[in-house]
Amino acid sequence: MTITPATAKPGDTLPPLTFGPISRTTLALYAGASGDHNPIHIDLDFAKSAGFDDVFAHGMLSMAQLGRLVTDWAGQENVAALSTRFTAITPVNATVTCEGTVTEVVEQDGETLLKLTLSAKVDDGTQTLKGNALVRIA
Amino acid sequence: MGIFDRSTAGHITPPVDVTLERGAIAFFAETIGETNPIHFDVDAARSAGHPDVVAPATYPVVVGTFAGNESARKGSPGILDLIKADMRHLLHGTESYTYHGTMYAGETVSVVNEVLGFVDAKGGKLEIAQVATRITHPERGLIVEAKRDIIHVLG
Repeated sequence: MTITPATAKPGDTLPPLTFGPISRTTLALYAGASGDHNPIHIDLDFAKSAGFDDVFAHGMLSMAQLGRLVTDWAGQENVAALSTRFTAITPVNATVTCEGTVTEVVEQDGETLLKLTLSAKVDDGTQTLKGNALVRIA
Repeated sequence: MGIFDRSTAGHITPPVDVTLERGAIAFFAETIGETNPIHFDVDAARSAGHPDVVAPATYPVVVGTFAGNESARKGSPGILDLIKADMRHLLHGTESYTYHGTMYAGETVSVVNEVLGFVDAKGGKLEIAQVATRITHPERGLIVEAKRDIIHVLG
């Protein structure tokens, strides 16, 4: 049975989502699409001059996946809040796996909301994002 | 010693208008792998009851960046230049959104950035700038408030 915000209970999990592998082309496109032109993500010469072995992915590209995970499940109009901490760098060519779990039902400003914990991990299991969302029960 | 210009704490940038463009939203949606057509197909968006394509959940960061670029074109620094962020040492620590509404293509929204403050962490190895972006619609009011920590890794 498919779990929806209306039927979800603490402990239930969202359908997971994977994205990648994140190529250099994807990073170039994300730089253009997002307006984030920080060369650390797209210019190997710059990344090396800053002491990195290679470019690495925009954290916001992974947070966009957490956004997809939650909006696919709940509908964007029902998402009250989305937040994350970036806990590790996402290497170029990584595949990101995003998961979400319902942790509690909260009342806020007269609304019933589900609190979710979210995570993004890369291929070797390293957690790269540790997030939360608040979702209205539609 | 840090790199950020801490004298900018409390600074609020003048409001900048940003018009949300359908093609730009679709490009962003496709780049992040979005599969829901309400984000890139205007007919699908309208069939689902929206006035135009819907900006994805993390699009507020893009609108904030576009506002900074627009303000730089007019000769005043965007938020990262204002606080003297150094891209060689910069990491993104946190990002959060509180949503009060949805942004659609075709709308013009007003964007304000605020430097909330600066803190040190890990015995001075990290310095953290806390900034906020508020996006307001002329009729629907505050649409989204974004907050983020951006970090210089020192030494």
